[in-house]
Amino acid sequence: MKHAIDLTQGPAQIEDMADAVSNCVHCGFCLPACPTYQVQGEELDSPRGRIFLMKESLEGAVPVAEVMPYIDRCLGCMACVTACPSGVEYGALLAPFRALGERSARPRDRWRAVRRQAALRILPYPRRLQAALALARWTRPLHAWAPTGLQPLLQLVPDAPRPALRARTDGRAPAAPAARVALLPGCAQSVLAPGITQAATRVLQAHGIDVAFPASTVCCGALDMHAGESDRARSLAWDLCAALPSDVEAVLTSAAGCGSGIQEYPLLFKGQAQAARAQKVAARTQDVAVYLSRWPDKVPFALATPLRVAYHDACHLQHAQGVTTEPRALLQAVEGLELIELPDAGFCCGSAGIYNIDQPETARVLGQRKAQAALDARADVLVTGNVGCLFQIQAHLRRLGSALPVRHTMQLLASALPDAEDR
Amino acid sequence: MSLAPSPGPFPELTQTQVVAALQDLVEPARVLHSRADRAPYESDALTAFRAQPYAVVLANDPDEVVRLVRWCHATGVPFLARGSGTSLSGGSMPRDKGVVLALNRLNRILEIRPEDGLCRVEPGVINLRVSQAAQPYGLYYAPDPSSQPICTIGGNVAFNSGGAHCLKYGMTSNHVLGLKYVTPTGVVETAGRNSLEGLGPDLTGLFVGSEGRFGVALEITLRLLPLVPAYKTVLAAYASLTAAGEAVAQVVASGLLPGAMEIMDRLSIQAAEASVQAGYPQAAAILIVELEGEEEQVASDFAALRRLLQASGAHEIRAAQSEAERAQIWKGRKSAFSAVGRLSPDYIVQDGVVPRSRLGEALTRIEALSRQYDIRVANVFHAGDGNLHPLILFDGRAEGALHRAEELAGEILRMCIDMGGSITGEHGVGMEKRAYLPAMYQGRDLQFMYDLCFAMDPRGVANRGKMLVDEQWPPPALQARDDSAPAAYGAACQARVAALRAAVAAGSAWRIVGGGSKTRRAADDPIPALSATELTGILDYDPQEFTITALAGTPVQALQAALEEQGQYLPFCPPSQAGATLGGTLACGLSGEGRLRFGGARDFVLGVRFIDGQGRLIYSGGQVVKNAAGFDAPKLLVGSLGSLALMVEITLKVFPQAPAYGTLQCRFRDMEAACRQMHRIRTGPAEVVSLSLNPEDGEYALYVRLAGSPELLPQRLARLADFVAAPTHCALDDAHLWRALDEWSRLDAAGIWRVPIAPALMLPLERSLRDLPYARRYGMGGHLLWLRGEASPALDATLARFQLGGLGLRDVPAPSLRGVYPMTRFLARVKQVLDPDGKFASPLPYPAPDTP
Repeated sequence: MKHAIDLTQGPAQIEDMADAVSNCVHCGFCLPACPTYQVQGEELDSPRGRIFLMKESLEGAVPVAEVMPYIDRCLGCMACVTACPSGVEYGALLAPFRALGERSARPRDRWRAVRRQAALRILPYPRRLQAALALARWTRPLHAWAPTGLQPLLQLVPDAPRPALRARTDGRAPAAPAARVALLPGCAQSVLAPGITQAATRVLQAHGIDVAFPASTVCCGALDMHAGESDRARSLAWDLCAALPSDVEAVLTSAAGCGSGIQEYPLLFKGQAQAARAQKVAARTQDVAVYLSRWPDKVPFALATPLRVAYHDACHLQHAQGVTTEPRALLQAVEGLELIELPDAGFCCGSAGIYNIDQPETARVLGQRKAQAALDARADVLVTGNVGCLFQIQAHLRRLGSALPVRHTMQLLASALPDAEDR
Repeated sequence: MSLAPSPGPFPELTQTQVVAALQDLVEPARVLHSRADRAPYESDALTAFRAQPYAVVLANDPDEVVRLVRWCHATGVPFLARGSGTSLSGGSMPRDKGVVLALNRLNRILEIRPEDGLCRVEPGVINLRVSQAAQPYGLYYAPDPSSQPICTIGGNVAFNSGGAHCLKYGMTSNHVLGLKYVTPTGVVETAGRNSLEGLGPDLTGLFVGSEGRFGVALEITLRLLPLVPAYKTVLAAYASLTAAGEAVAQVVASGLLPGAMEIMDRLSIQAAEASVQAGYPQAAAILIVELEGEEEQVASDFAALRRLLQASGAHEIRAAQSEAERAQIWKGRKSAFSAVGRLSPDYIVQDGVVPRSRLGEALTRIEALSRQYDIRVANVFHAGDGNLHPLILFDGRAEGALHRAEELAGEILRMCIDMGGSITGEHGVGMEKRAYLPAMYQGRDLQFMYDLCFAMDPRGVANRGKMLVDEQWPPPALQARDDSAPAAYGAACQARVAALRAAVAAGSAWRIVGGGSKTRRAADDPIPALSATELTGILDYDPQEFTITALAGTPVQALQAALEEQGQYLPFCPPSQAGATLGGTLACGLSGEGRLRFGGARDFVLGVRFIDGQGRLIYSGGQVVKNAAGFDAPKLLVGSLGSLALMVEITLKVFPQAPAYGTLQCRFRDMEAACRQMHRIRTGPAEVVSLSLNPEDGEYALYVRLAGSPELLPQRLARLADFVAAPTHCALDDAHLWRALDEWSRLDAAGIWRVPIAPALMLPLERSLRDLPYARRYGMGGHLLWLRGEASPALDATLARFQLGGLGLRDVPAPSLRGVYPMTRFLARVKQVLDPDGKFASPLPYPAPDTP
């Protein structure tokens, strides 16, 4: 598509942004893939519409503030990237544009702003998150009287207190490791579902792989990056780069959002002094399922009781990282596991970083659809590769009155290890 | 123009006024008016064109659409009805200072009627969703434009969209059975009904492809086909485009009728591979051929195809081994346009049609033009239809690049016209090609289109600016060219045409008749007869092209004989009694038992030259198998019963004759069981070409016809016999059976009534009719009831009770049209354009001219 974007102005990423616009031919093939288009049904809530709006805004024809409401509604799920025949790098346009939007003066609903800042200033910091959860649980009887604008946040508070768990190797480190990797415990994940990192560690170790952790649990910056808070994202990302052990052959993530976020470092650090080092980290980073699927020596996974397992593709795995076959291959190799596919597997569950806190209505529709699909498929367990999806789908299953367990891929694999306690 | 008052001038409204008025009509939040809210609606998939509407209205229901259209008509503010905005001709871009009616929320599938093989949908329904919804019933919707996962049925209807499978199944128009629409003046009416067959002029056919200028479709009745039992999708790689083009000609000449034949060149292969990794071979050109039908027939066709492709110089031949592989092949092909976005920031997609036998020549010329202009051109096209899609690559930011690309595009279009083709096969004229329409239609032919458009939309509000250049409204009269009959007619026929025109112009009332095989002139009829029976002869027949052009008085039998010599036939199998002329057959809208599989007379008529009520000679349509340029008047004349025009020349699409036929006869004690089985057979394991149910000797005989290789028919018939729970009898030499059925409907009886019905009505109708003195036959798979017997009050009562209409053939007393049949304001306006003085008498009771 022809554009008149001034490449000499704007953010460091302006050329990548202009390339995305230029590659778009306005054919509309992204529309059926876009979850918000499916829910809202309007051009403005489609990738094609948003690209056009961002183009107009970058050209100076439309004020950024007028465009932002539609950009805010984007899940950032990147399903459009998978669907796009012309190879538009939508993410390369969206993230820097969100950063532009956040820098511009823009009106925002008060409670939305509160929720958003609360999420961004609490979730990435494990101690703050633990304190906030404790406070929220302690005040639970009062939640009903809290302003409706706060409810989307309060509804996400898990029932049971979470044990403070520091990522550790559990004393089962292989005697003669064949490789050494760094595993990110994930900031929010380390508080909300530390069992995932534990499970991933055990599975890696069972393969004879030595696991190391960053010196401190720092956020990778993905949440801020995808929310347009690029300065804070860069500062967190840089801390992570510094905290990573250097003697590892790969950096592994077990949260899809972290994986795709780190792989976007080159764009985030474009034009910055730290660009080269960030790029190196990005190049070494991959999802734990991808790493394991390429591991030559297979471990005989077997389930104690056979299970029908539905796999949910996290958007930041399938669309942002192009990872769909690897986790399935791992699951399919488990004895006693029947892998089933969900309809509309390409669709987001509505979690999408802080989307379910920022845009609760659309998130609710999508979450409900996904939960219903899992129920209709009559699965015994729903498995996914991202903590955000896990909580979102679980919450909607409970709302539908279902106790269907939702586990991370690594948790399921760990339970099928030869020495699994609950095997 | 006498029929409408002057349309203006209107006081021009400001944006504020327009928005305020619209917000009175619909919920204000659904009237988008900020710059950002309107921006994404400024263009469609052809971004070279854009315009700024004053407002975008997100319509919630059909009533709102009607209110909005009425408001536009009242104020003169132009509107665009928009679906997903995937038009490649600028057809769904708005007009400056106009209003966009976004119809995406009108996306309900209103009903699916598996027994009748149809569904009714709202215009915002996505094309692919129709097939998905029909799939559980063993049915699908055949038209498959490449954008089918996102384009809407409303847009498909407006632009008569095509797709990869048009060669065998035709365009959107062939699958639209009926419509509910709002005209540009705000009148809500319906056309067509729940049947494959219709009565009266085919308004549905005229509406489809009118590029939004005749109003907005609110409900669309679509034909659904039984799911194809088996596919074989074959890839063949060639060292040159020309070689691939020649292979297409050889496949066609062999008598095979593939579902699709597509060619992609090196550039588009590269783009598609980069995009979807379809696994195409690296070659200068690939040919995709898709065979379909019953398993063993497809296997046998594939063996023949493989031999052909090998002989044609393919260096690699590969068939999809699974449904997933097949899907991947098609995904690559259908993503090709967009994938070319990887090669170039901008491009223009062309859509010209050339006669299939000149494909190679056309491609060579495009290549030469590409070199001459130093502009890259990627080719990906529907080779089976001769429908080219050159993609002209350019960088819109480079000075003058768009202009040069447009120049090149123009040269390609002119080449298509010079070769006797069309400027558009399926994308429509839209904004992009309207300057070229006058090169294809001139003088009176083009004037006719303007006249129709003006009659329907005197204020010029409905998708103004598309198809026709119309900055002035009403449009000024065009320069009339020499409109005498073409030299190919020969001097005698030219003189005859001139005499007919003079007679029409001079006379006051005429009754158009053909060979008199369907109606006989009552001795005391005061209206003189006008006949084209002396205009006989085949003007053009190239078996390679699947087209035949003949004068309207040519006997159907003569036409059939000529086709048979080349192993071809008229797929709609019109009744062919002695005396039946081509013109008469079309004017009566008669199709035979072949209609069920491939379509009726309306679906196979491509072009018509006719004399209108003022004695003007007008041409409409085209002479290639695929053409989406201009209004589809040839379809309108099918079934028009001589009320609109006197046809003098007709071009039809033809098909290769099947190598052999076989028929399964099944007998049932009661009608209910027969109907049930008939429906089962429709969606069963066999590819059925004809299906007729006849009450015979107190029982019900069902005739099921299959076509294909003679050696395979016995086993296919045997399998079908196993499937049917009834006593059966197989006949391999079955021509006499179907001839007898055909003759049954035209025996020299006191009267023959042709009643289009929905198959679901067969049972209740039979219950009402069996005690009346009528012999009955339920033909074309239950879509057409033939009754034999004299007119009677009981017949009228039955027709009225079932809301059906019947056309009496042979010597029935007036009126020959009985029961319920269409007469709309739309039709009345069409009559006003074609025959303003009411010179052509007919059984259709046209009302007096209305005022808008």
